[in-house]
Amino acid sequence: MGITQPKWRALDFTLVGMFAALMAIGANITSWAPFLVIGGVPITLQTFFCVLAGAILGRRLGALAMIIYMLIGLFGAPVFARFSGGFGTIVSPTFGFILSFILSAYVTGLITEKSNHPSMVRFIVAALAGMVINYIVGTNWMYFAYKFWAAAPKGFSYSMAWGWMLVPLPKDLILSVIAGAISPRIYSSIRKSTSYHRYVA
Amino acid sequence: MINSMIIGKYVPSDSIIHRMDPRAKLLLVFIYVFIVFLANNSVTYIVLTMFTLVLLFLSRIPIAFILRGLKPILWIVLVTFLLHMFMTKEGDLLYQWGRLAIYEGGIKQGIFISLRFLLFIMITTLLTLTTTPIEVTDGVESLLAPLKKLHVPVHELALMMSISLRFIPTLLEETEKIMKAQAARGVDFSGGSFSERVKAIVSLLVPLFINSFKRAEELATAMEARGYRGGEGRTKFRQLTWKPLDTFCLIAVFVLAMILFVLRS
Repeated sequence: MGITQPKWRALDFTLVGMFAALMAIGANITSWAPFLVIGGVPITLQTFFCVLAGAILGRRLGALAMIIYMLIGLFGAPVFARFSGGFGTIVSPTFGFILSFILSAYVTGLITEKSNHPSMVRFIVAALAGMVINYIVGTNWMYFAYKFWAAAPKGFSYSMAWGWMLVPLPKDLILSVIAGAISPRIYSSIRKSTSYHRYVA
Repeated sequence: MINSMIIGKYVPSDSIIHRMDPRAKLLLVFIYVFIVFLANNSVTYIVLTMFTLVLLFLSRIPIAFILRGLKPILWIVLVTFLLHMFMTKEGDLLYQWGRLAIYEGGIKQGIFISLRFLLFIMITTLLTLTTTPIEVTDGVESLLAPLKKLHVPVHELALMMSISLRFIPTLLEETEKIMKAQAARGVDFSGGSFSERVKAIVSLLVPLFINSFKRAEELATAMEARGYRGGEGRTKFRQLTWKPLDTFCLIAVFVLAMILFVLRS
């Protein structure tokens, strides 16, 4: 017939787009669900959605969804935490965390793709791995952002940057475990209720 | 809230800057990012600031919107300023209190670096305020089109971004609807113990994910039914037109770059 199989299926586009949109909602979920402000700290579901993106879409599309999320944010949609967005975000020291979602989703995909029915432990491991990547990329970015953009003087050391990051660490550890623990429920209900498993590996 | 998510931070108006082609605006911002680094003394910083203020003036955006864009980075600017003020030991000693010493060079360096930050954020805020996310997406797609030769999926990325932008408000509405539906079934979204809150969030997320997957499937089916076959030879609903004004603005930026290059020390 001469028609070659296209590289992309329409469903790839729509799933990736939808997940990027979900990330945007997850970033600011507390505006609609105020009960997620726990002890004065608004919880974002970004890491959680990022882990699910890797697990459900697989590593390639999962990472792609995070790239799309990052791009629409940079292009001016207020999709980052606290409704920020626009090209200016790139110099914000916390941009590394948004960047790290790409790698996080990829690694999560890698971990969960290994089994056909990922267990809760696997999800928790994946969520924790995602969080570790988040911290490593995010903190390094923050350090270099201050170092180069702000041309920080010599007194600003690498360990100082990590010192700042120790404060939210316990909160994120607990959240990652919870995210890992409830992921299988969402994962299995999506598999059950939609026909998507026919398409996705 | 939903409305603000649709158009981003766009402030509708009919100014020169609004009417510019998004491609020209993107190029302008891109070049500007490099130009900012050219400034390294008082004169160059003044020229750069003047240029930026003229752009702000031309956009006819109320100054309050610009300030709102600057707010999130104000503390970074402040930290930067203080770091430089206390840690740069150049020029005359201005003030000493115990081990804390402030030098003239420190204050100068602090002001320069903070100003670099502020100008950069101002110009990007201006882009965001005068251009809708979808326009930016179209512009980037058009600018990066040559990369298709290198097998970069430019069209595909732009399509996914459009889909995402289109569905953010839809999914937001859905989130609200699901919360109401679950509340009617007795889920407490107002508080409760920690485990109750975790349960409540599960009752929100499961339907939200399933609904968005169904939507994704329906949209994909609709695209295939209409014969979507990738970007090759597709025509566009939203057309970009390059006007003389856009060429003029780009020339202006290049002139600015040259002036800065001559004046910098």
